[in-house]
Amino acid sequence: MLAFVIRRLIGMVAVLFAVSLLVFIVFIEIPGGDPAERMAGKNPTPDNIQNIREKWGFDKPFYVQYVRMMEKAGNGLLPGPHSEYDILRSFDTRQNVVAEIKKGIPATFSLCIGAGIIWLVFGILVGVISAVKAGRWSDRAITVLALIGISMPVFWLGIVLRYFFAETRTWFPDGGYVPLSQDPAQWMYHLILPWFCLAILFIGFYGRVLRSNMLDTMNEDYVRTARAKGLQPGRVLGRHVLRNSLIPIVSLFGLDFAAVLGGGAILTETVFDLKGVGWYAAQSVGGLDLPPIMGVTLYGAFFIVVFSAAVDFAYAYLDPRIRPT
Amino acid sequence: MAEPATDLTLDSASLLAAEEHEIAIVGRSPWYLAWRRLRRNWVALVSLGVFVAIVVACALAPVYAKHLAHTGPNTVHAGETVIVSGKPKQVVGGGSHYDPKTNTFIVAAPVYLGPTWWHAHGRFVLGTDNLGRDVAVRLLYGGRNSLKVGIGSALICTLVAVLLALLAGYNGGWVDWLVSRFFDLIWAFPVFLLAIALSTALAINGFHHFGISIEPGSLWIPTLVISYVLIPYIGRPLRGQILSLREKEFVESAIGAGAGPLRVMFSDLLPNIASTVLVFFTLIIATNILTEAGLSFLGAGVRLPDPSWGNMIASGQDQIQTAPWLALIPGIAIVLTVLSLNLFGDGLRDALDPRAKVRIER
Amino acid sequence: MTARRRGTWLLGLVALAAGVSMMVAAYGVAATRSHAAPQHAQKFGTLRAVIDTIDFLDPQQAYTGQSWWAMWNVYETLLTYKHVDGPAGYQLVPGLAQSLPKISSNGRVYKFTLRNGLKYSNGKPVLASDFKWAVKRGFLATGQGVGFYTDIAGAKAYAAHPTKGGNISGIITNNKKRTITIKLATARGDFLTILALIFAAPVPANTSTAILNGTIPGTGPYRFSSFDANRGFTMVRNKYFKPTKYIPRGNPDKIDVALVGDANAATQRVINGQADYSNAAIPPDRIASVKSKGQLVLRQTANTYYFWMNIREAPFNKLKVRQAVNYGLDRAAMQKIVWGGLGQATQNVLPPTYPSYQRLKTYSHNVTKAKQLITQAGAKGAKVTVWTRDVSDARDAAQYYTSVLNTIGLDASLNILPRATYYSTVGNVATHAQTGWARWLEDYPHPLDWFDVLLNGNRITNTDNNNYAWYSNKKTNAEIEGLKKSQVLTPAVNARWAKVEKEIMAQAPWAPWSNRVFPEYFSKKMGCIHVQRLYGIDALRLCRK
Repeated sequence: MLAFVIRRLIGMVAVLFAVSLLVFIVFIEIPGGDPAERMAGKNPTPDNIQNIREKWGFDKPFYVQYVRMMEKAGNGLLPGPHSEYDILRSFDTRQNVVAEIKKGIPATFSLCIGAGIIWLVFGILVGVISAVKAGRWSDRAITVLALIGISMPVFWLGIVLRYFFAETRTWFPDGGYVPLSQDPAQWMYHLILPWFCLAILFIGFYGRVLRSNMLDTMNEDYVRTARAKGLQPGRVLGRHVLRNSLIPIVSLFGLDFAAVLGGGAILTETVFDLKGVGWYAAQSVGGLDLPPIMGVTLYGAFFIVVFSAAVDFAYAYLDPRIRPT
Repeated sequence: MAEPATDLTLDSASLLAAEEHEIAIVGRSPWYLAWRRLRRNWVALVSLGVFVAIVVACALAPVYAKHLAHTGPNTVHAGETVIVSGKPKQVVGGGSHYDPKTNTFIVAAPVYLGPTWWHAHGRFVLGTDNLGRDVAVRLLYGGRNSLKVGIGSALICTLVAVLLALLAGYNGGWVDWLVSRFFDLIWAFPVFLLAIALSTALAINGFHHFGISIEPGSLWIPTLVISYVLIPYIGRPLRGQILSLREKEFVESAIGAGAGPLRVMFSDLLPNIASTVLVFFTLIIATNILTEAGLSFLGAGVRLPDPSWGNMIASGQDQIQTAPWLALIPGIAIVLTVLSLNLFGDGLRDALDPRAKVRIER
Repeated sequence: MTARRRGTWLLGLVALAAGVSMMVAAYGVAATRSHAAPQHAQKFGTLRAVIDTIDFLDPQQAYTGQSWWAMWNVYETLLTYKHVDGPAGYQLVPGLAQSLPKISSNGRVYKFTLRNGLKYSNGKPVLASDFKWAVKRGFLATGQGVGFYTDIAGAKAYAAHPTKGGNISGIITNNKKRTITIKLATARGDFLTILALIFAAPVPANTSTAILNGTIPGTGPYRFSSFDANRGFTMVRNKYFKPTKYIPRGNPDKIDVALVGDANAATQRVINGQADYSNAAIPPDRIASVKSKGQLVLRQTANTYYFWMNIREAPFNKLKVRQAVNYGLDRAAMQKIVWGGLGQATQNVLPPTYPSYQRLKTYSHNVTKAKQLITQAGAKGAKVTVWTRDVSDARDAAQYYTSVLNTIGLDASLNILPRATYYSTVGNVATHAQTGWARWLEDYPHPLDWFDVLLNGNRITNTDNNNYAWYSNKKTNAEIEGLKKSQVLTPAVNARWAKVEKEIMAQAPWAPWSNRVFPEYFSKKMGCIHVQRLYGIDALRLCRK
């Protein structure tokens, strides 16, 4: 097990390094992306552009710039006041990237944790009910509803929800985020539509995966044996069937949750005007602003990589048939 | 014959045999049995029909545009007037205007021509967008683009994922480790950032190296990006399945009999995952259409002025108060297409799974 | 002003009558007859404003209209503008200076005296040398406004290697006598307006050259008390400020500015009563419905939206093709589809706010004629790439434009570039951009800000070029250079500007199409709504009903 953990840790670091390097190269090679010219403004003088280049290090070769940028990213995580050029700063606004990401974290975490709980709970519910009632009309109805849920583009659903429930009728607030510390009731009120929107596509998917796994498990020999022994159906369900069927769900949830936490809920955040990390990422990519892009990429990759390893670890622990690699 | 199953459950071999009135039992291939099962699933067949109808309609977009709507997908008719049911209506009317007498602007909302439902002889059947373009024509051309990207990327993605999963599952060891880390790398990559970055990077000159030539705004960019980032989506489950198949006796015996790796991979392992691959392929088309819509919504997929269902929704949301059909109609098109694919994929999975026959027992 | 910033407003209509400030300055007449300074009419607690975006709150860095709207009342400059409505708002008056400067006869030496007893908002006295430090700081901090000051003697040499201890020989200050003398290397007719830009606001000596948002003390009626980059900032009264004839105390005790990028959210805040004022560009979709829920003010500013055609690249190297494009555009329809009608069709370079403005009506909307011209020029089917910026109104206008080019016989496709890199890409000669979208928002009210920057062949550069049409014509170039020396916008000078404009537009390097109008939205409780021609809504004079 220790060897597995160490191998995974090495893998994690390698992936973080590879992702950041790839993103960096893609952006540094973009034509027209010369940051010095952009930062110099409307009436640039060649001297000014050159001064900007020297101060920010744009005249150095790309690998030097990459190392320097990673150093700056690291510095940004350390506490204390930072000088102008020691940390990652956006080219456009010169703001501290790490600080900006931190500001976006409450909104993103609120959205993702809330939606995550909803989709896990309801996904499992949906899966269990449709597995237990397999073949009846309720299973059929749930399946169709779940399928509709996963067939809708999440941003479209957001627009439609906002239009029908927040604009033409003001039952819900029209987007925006209220911090939890400021007003818990408003915080929740503003998040209801986004939670629903983000959760609905996962609920359907998880429900069907769980249903399929449960039906497979229910037909295994040991379940038959358990029932033949006279155990109550409920106990069979809970202790044997569910426990084994949930394993793939664990894996899926870990990865999906990490993805949205790491800024993957970009579309929901944009549509509902929640200024989270995903929203910040969309802004900076649109503006070709490299430091925030690097910052958000590292942030997102970090979550994915950590959760991916955790999930593999949990998987190996729960199902001894699966050999960890 | 007592048929306890509803349309969403499955047939069984015994029922088929009974059907054949106790004639000599003919051995049927699993594919034929699956087809028989699928035939009985009317929901899946209807869904397939809907999807095919959508594909055909979108493929015929140029015909519609030329002969029925008399315009192109990007042609602006902003200042023009259209005769609807005998009455002239402005394509884009209303709006604020300057009043020289009072030296101020009179503020009014623009009035967009709504769906004419054929009362204008085929023009603007689904109304106009904010630039005076025919929505129905754009919807069909948009469907072409969205489907091209969706299906194309599904093909590439599935192909690469199957190859990688076979390699990883068969070899195990460090090859498996490498492929798994590669999957991790792709999964950790911010898909939207990559897509936006690439489409921006290539926006000015395109890509003209190594004998490959990609114009800026080409559909290859979203296609390749989407196929790339969804490889782990198929690759991981397939790898898992192949890993467990690898341990089965028939594979061991094939290797023992001296079969080389290629032979084992393609003759022994691949056929056994074929049904999974087929189902995944159907479902991944659906996922890719949704991903493409998301990318186009953010401006990184199909590039304006070419339509895509995603970018039509993005442009339409600014007119949601005065012209709600602009954002709603493309979304409905996406839902119909993806839903039909999902329903069909569901039915296909039920039909192909040989263990499913046991599920009837309740 | 470039469209690099979404800074919309700033400067309103000019339409000055004959006796414009420049005339006054040139003859060295001291401070004019005074209008009664606005009375300290109605104090109230807090003005809650919602602004879409700012770039910086550092005087040597900020370059958007929204930032200047806030900073105008915090960082005073040597010369400033009156807090009045209408054309008089374009008149330069003394700010920190005692009076308008003495200008030498060759127009190259300007002499100012600072008012006595000036203090920053931290209580420290304002020294004449602080003005020099402000200019130096601009170069040291690589601010975006330094290009304006390179005509000061010694500034170019300083700019090459700026150091804290270095000197700009053209600025001579005497702290005891409170005098500032500025020597120019070459005369500039617009130098006084350049001095009134916030880039030239004095800051305390040795203020750090790092970007400081909201912490640099100023001399205006307000000071910044807090700043949070993406959320907002606050301004409170500067207790060391003494009102003058031209700069009154403000009505609000405190100004709370929230930064909300989403136009609908911003407007909704005003409707809900959470804010008093919003500058958001309300989408045409909604503007009619919000009109009744608040007070809508439509502000005309000095801006022109146009399509440039690169005369060095085929097919736009042919005059007939450029004329065809001008005939092909339906400018009236464009106002409607791009901003729902809130704009005025134009075929001029300058907006109607200028006294030299003479409305050009050369091109009617005639698609048939356009097609003929294209065929005559032999350009039918020529491949054209249209460039535009990834902002919704620029995309809409460019999509329309692309469709028109296809209709008249060219083979056009569209290329949308990110907001941040658009101008540097199309301004780079290596791109060989044929045609595309652009807009110019006035930096200061002088035709030189337009013709010299955008259409003077002598100022074409290979990178970061602002003359996207790469237009150069010996005759008009010479006329622009000649007009540079004219300090004053007399009727004769204005006539010469009008002539230059006509000659340039006869060559049709541009297809201008709109002068945009911007909505400003107030809650029903706000009163005393005044529009200052340059800086927009006058926050000082707002009051509650």
